[in-house]
Amino acid sequence: MNLSNSSISEINKLYKNKELKPSEVYEEVFNNAALSESIIHAHLKLFQEEGIAASKLSDARFAKGKQLSQLDGIPIAIKDNINLKNHETTCSSKMLSNYISPYDATVISKLRNSGVVFTGKTNLDEFAMGSSTENSAFGPTKNPWNPQHVPGGSSGGSAAVVSVGSALASLGSDTGGSIRQPASFCGVVGFKPTYGTVSRYGLVAFASSLDQIGPITNSVEDAKIIFNSIKGHDPLDSTSIADTSIEIPDDKTAKVGVIKELMEDGISDESKNEVEKTIKLLEDQGNKVVEVSLPLTKVALSIYYLIAPAECSANLSRFDGVRYGSREFGETSYQMMENTRAQGFGEEVKKRILLGTYALSAGYYDAYYGQALKARSLITKDFENIFKDVDYLISPTTPTPAFKFGEKTENPLEMYMSDLCTIPANLAGLPAISIPTGLSSENMPLSVQLMSPARTDSSLLKFSEKLENLISFDQRTSLLKEMK
Amino acid sequence: MKKDIDIKSVAKLAAINLSEDEEKKLEKDLNIILEHVEALSKMNIDDEEISIHPLGETLNLREDISSEFLTHDEAMSNSPETEDGHFVVPPSLD
Amino acid sequence: MNMIPTIGMETHVELNTNSKMFCNCPVVETEDPNISLCPTCLGLPGALPVPNLKAIESITMLALSANCSITNNGMFHRKNYFYPDLPKNYQISQFDLPVGVNGSLEIILDEGIETVEIERVHMEEDTGKSKHKGSGRIDSATSTLLDFNRSGVPLVEIVTKPVIKSSKEAVSYIEELRQLVIDLGISEGKLEKGNLRFDANISVAKEGDKELGVKVEIKNMNSLRSLEKAIDFEIKRQTKLIESNEEIIQETRHWDEDKEVTSSMRSKEGSADYRYFSDPDLPNMILTDEFINNIKKEIPTLPSDKRKKLIDTGLSMSESNHLGKSEVWIYDLYLDTQKLTNDCKTTYNLITGELQGQLRKAEIENLPEWVNSERLSEIITMINDNKISFTSGKEVLTNLIQNEINPTDFAESNNLIQENDFDEISKIVKDVFEANKEVVQRIKDGEEKLVGFLVGQVIKSSGGNINPSIAKDLLLKEL
Repeated sequence: MNLSNSSISEINKLYKNKELKPSEVYEEVFNNAALSESIIHAHLKLFQEEGIAASKLSDARFAKGKQLSQLDGIPIAIKDNINLKNHETTCSSKMLSNYISPYDATVISKLRNSGVVFTGKTNLDEFAMGSSTENSAFGPTKNPWNPQHVPGGSSGGSAAVVSVGSALASLGSDTGGSIRQPASFCGVVGFKPTYGTVSRYGLVAFASSLDQIGPITNSVEDAKIIFNSIKGHDPLDSTSIADTSIEIPDDKTAKVGVIKELMEDGISDESKNEVEKTIKLLEDQGNKVVEVSLPLTKVALSIYYLIAPAECSANLSRFDGVRYGSREFGETSYQMMENTRAQGFGEEVKKRILLGTYALSAGYYDAYYGQALKARSLITKDFENIFKDVDYLISPTTPTPAFKFGEKTENPLEMYMSDLCTIPANLAGLPAISIPTGLSSENMPLSVQLMSPARTDSSLLKFSEKLENLISFDQRTSLLKEMK
Repeated sequence: MKKDIDIKSVAKLAAINLSEDEEKKLEKDLNIILEHVEALSKMNIDDEEISIHPLGETLNLREDISSEFLTHDEAMSNSPETEDGHFVVPPSLD
Repeated sequence: MNMIPTIGMETHVELNTNSKMFCNCPVVETEDPNISLCPTCLGLPGALPVPNLKAIESITMLALSANCSITNNGMFHRKNYFYPDLPKNYQISQFDLPVGVNGSLEIILDEGIETVEIERVHMEEDTGKSKHKGSGRIDSATSTLLDFNRSGVPLVEIVTKPVIKSSKEAVSYIEELRQLVIDLGISEGKLEKGNLRFDANISVAKEGDKELGVKVEIKNMNSLRSLEKAIDFEIKRQTKLIESNEEIIQETRHWDEDKEVTSSMRSKEGSADYRYFSDPDLPNMILTDEFINNIKKEIPTLPSDKRKKLIDTGLSMSESNHLGKSEVWIYDLYLDTQKLTNDCKTTYNLITGELQGQLRKAEIENLPEWVNSERLSEIITMINDNKISFTSGKEVLTNLIQNEINPTDFAESNNLIQENDFDEISKIVKDVFEANKEVVQRIKDGEEKLVGFLVGQVIKSSGGNINPSIAKDLLLKEL
């Protein structure tokens, strides 16, 4: 049995039956990391000693029959833009290469209290801005399915570690697809919950009104277990929502809408094909599938590339070399800040800060940022209307399977296009999940995305589990097998 | 609406000291993006109301209860330069 | 040609909450730097703001007291600018939807009551403190030391419309606002501690001009005295420029306390495009009518209401203004006592002058509970009924402060009651006339000031217990 690809509930059962110990599982995932890291570079930091210590404490709890939760002794990796006390939080930026966080993010406190063993911090596009991890200041992560391909981003490291088995699951953050797109590229499950369901306290903000933390896992069930452990209202996050979930009636069959605009130009045949295959599976089970139209999908990318940069331009102002982080010389404090920010930020981050600064500046606010907010509100209403008629929406997660390094670095729009299918859910704050469905002609994973109304996360996960059972995607990356 | 971006003044506002090469590259990229968002800025949606929270949630206020968080040493632990318990920076002008 | 100055005030009031505006860090008063900090007020990556209910209650109370309309559906904005004492390099503030708009505040001038229109009252967070090291002057500092204890302390900014016409009015406005925040209990209101900080926008225009002149902002005035001097200086400076047809530059100027001049400030690098946008970390803030009505109920009597009430008792404007600004117990004691005595002047003099003075002199902090309106009114009524002199009244009061006495009994047993019997006094007057015939003649010849001498003689021969005014009246009659 390959432990690192086993489900959390199976492993938990083995722990409880004393057939397996957390320290043994930790050892296996650590060995997987040791083998794979030199090729894929998914972890920025491995917490070896701490991991061993934590897993042994968990051993002791199971020995006494006192598990803290179903996640006790489960090794989980954390995207390096989430604060873990007394560890670096670099956001894959030179700016924070030596920054040690003095506090835990709320999700970390919750996982800590659940007995989770943290394996380490994972690589990302600098400050979560990117779709390939090529923007990491510490070098890109490689796709475990084929190291010539990108793992997606920005949570590329978090997706790759789950795919390769150097953690049983991971946390990522999703602003425009940063959990779902890399999950899709790496052949694992990625879930972005309803905005505000999981606390953002301790997540280094990229775009506050779009950011959401979520799990990347081997299965929908694992995603559900982690989601249930990290969700909940947090008084430290003013955007965190009350614990009121809405259930979609759990009848035998559901009505699923296919977003017409995400099955047109700009989406590869292979990606469309996966959706069509999945539709057939759903229909075979008696679910009703209809075509729906979301015309504003055409401007969703534009809305996103005004709102996200505008928010990030202010969110990243705090990185100035005054209180923490790197510092460059300057005669005056302002020059020091200017030089620090020039040296500390990479090109993509600068690009987005400048774009956002411009969109907010005098004379341009109404045409750009103000207009984007209004269009965002419209798209949210369009979703609400569509959901009056259908229970779930289906689309490809990504327009194409994982592309090769350097393929989309020339024109910024080409890279941005890879978030075409995922961005709408962030704009409307909806829950969305990526589920692997098959492989491309180049043997790279492909996925479909399911979305549902705000606050129906539990129903979406339940429905996704059903769908997952219909799909027989049990292929795993062969990277480790080859190495071993 | 669209005018070519004045990269120097925007960089000044954003406090990023760009090299000339960067200015050129970023100016080009930003103009490509601004070109792309042009269609959005022309949409006629002036009356649309907006809510800050994507789900339309409103603000909760907290009780005025104080509690200590970081010790002085923790607060200063990442500081590039300190003196007499202060963070130190090059002279700032008012 | 006449020049008309126009002044608008921007005042920051530091609230007296336990915790900061957007985090639980205690608001501290200490010289120890950087001891009250958390990820939020230090601007650490990943930290988020959660607003303080008490601060919102306080600002609502202030906005209501300043007759503002309250914004039901408001929000917070980010004001973006780079400065090392601003941890996030943006300040959470309010832009187009502040808590209060369109209010007014009554101020007291020698000429009477004037109304200052308030444009807006909004909530924001304070910055840290910078200390410039080097030769002591900002221009030649070698480094800047930063203390963030103040970072995130709740600040209310009150902006007037450009309606103030002189430095005196500006000072009076600040005094009124200061009294208001103290009476509301929302701020310590101490200027020397920086609880109240103000900037003035000043412009000067020729009389008859339809538009205001070019606006100049004056900063760094730390006292009412410097506010008055800075405004006067600036009005003179601008007037001279206009008279000599020179251009006035729209700028921010610094008040130099030592040289008593304003000087152009080296502007912060970068421009002043603050790129305000709604803070995505803070959803829309709904202040319901119920919330607002509950705050209304908690508003104590305001200075302007107090003044009105006091004037109604018969006090003059300046007496009312003075008493209105006194501590609440003095104000209440006056009103209670006045109700019993039905007199304002003696009651006012005895309570605001004598009672407060004697307590201070005797270093008594709390008024003894037996010094109540009943006993005080007894003393005042005895004075007003001419039973005792004001001087004797003071003596009774002194003893009342020391011991729980009955004022009337005390006056009687200490021989303080004045002789008011006309026949008795007439007899004494006649005796005095007999004994001082020469003086009487001189008075009749026109030396009127000698009347006082005769009054003295009358009082002297009566043993002191005679009402001087009755004595005088009788003397004059006889003459």
